[in-house]
Amino acid sequence: METVFVMATLFIAFPIVLFHFITKWRSAATITTEDENLLDELHDLARRLDDRMVTIERIIQAENPGWRSVGQDPVEAVLEDRTSRGLRSDRVTELGRGNRPVGRNR
Amino acid sequence: MRSPHTKFYLDKLNAKWSGVCAGISDYTGIDVTVVRIGFVLSLFIIGPMAIFAYFLTSWLAPRKPIELYARNPEEQKFWQGVRANPRRTARDVRSRFRDLDRRLADVETYVTSSNNRLANEIEQLR
Repeated sequence: METVFVMATLFIAFPIVLFHFITKWRSAATITTEDENLLDELHDLARRLDDRMVTIERIIQAENPGWRSVGQDPVEAVLEDRTSRGLRSDRVTELGRGNRPVGRNR
Repeated sequence: MRSPHTKFYLDKLNAKWSGVCAGISDYTGIDVTVVRIGFVLSLFIIGPMAIFAYFLTSWLAPRKPIELYARNPEEQKFWQGVRANPRRTARDVRSRFRDLDRRLADVETYVTSSNNRLANEIEQLR
């Protein structure tokens, strides 16, 4: 009785399970050679376009930082930059003046 | 007929013995050490069946053609994704193209609007 059971599992159940998974695996991942070549080409194209895009974005970034905001005027931006720089330098001198006595006290 | 990139191969370059475990690792993207440990564990669980399966695979499966070895790991990962789920990979590629389209639109907006501004400045100078 026991040997029959073991034989049944070995020669019937195992092959059934095996072939079940083989058929499942065969039907699951179906991609033809043409599809594969197409996918490969598209992937490559996307990578190259990405590289070019990065280059162009870098060039524009160097030309005008803050170009991403739509209504941004490069001339105004430069003027704003100057004023803020001036303010900053004023502040720095003020802070420097303010700091000196503190340093002396120490 | 299965296409060359989605077939199972013996990976002879990373092989310890005949390249079955390395081939499984290359096919699925699971780390090769994990596959080997899993194989050794399966020896204890199903015993001689595992050894039989190993030799059957090493006898039947073709060795990996040298031109298919990926030059960069990114390419290898891409093909592992294709093997696991080609549809998802296609969606990934599409989303990359959409991203490119969006960024190109940004650049286009910037270039056209700055050209407009330049034209206005020139008009004012006349």
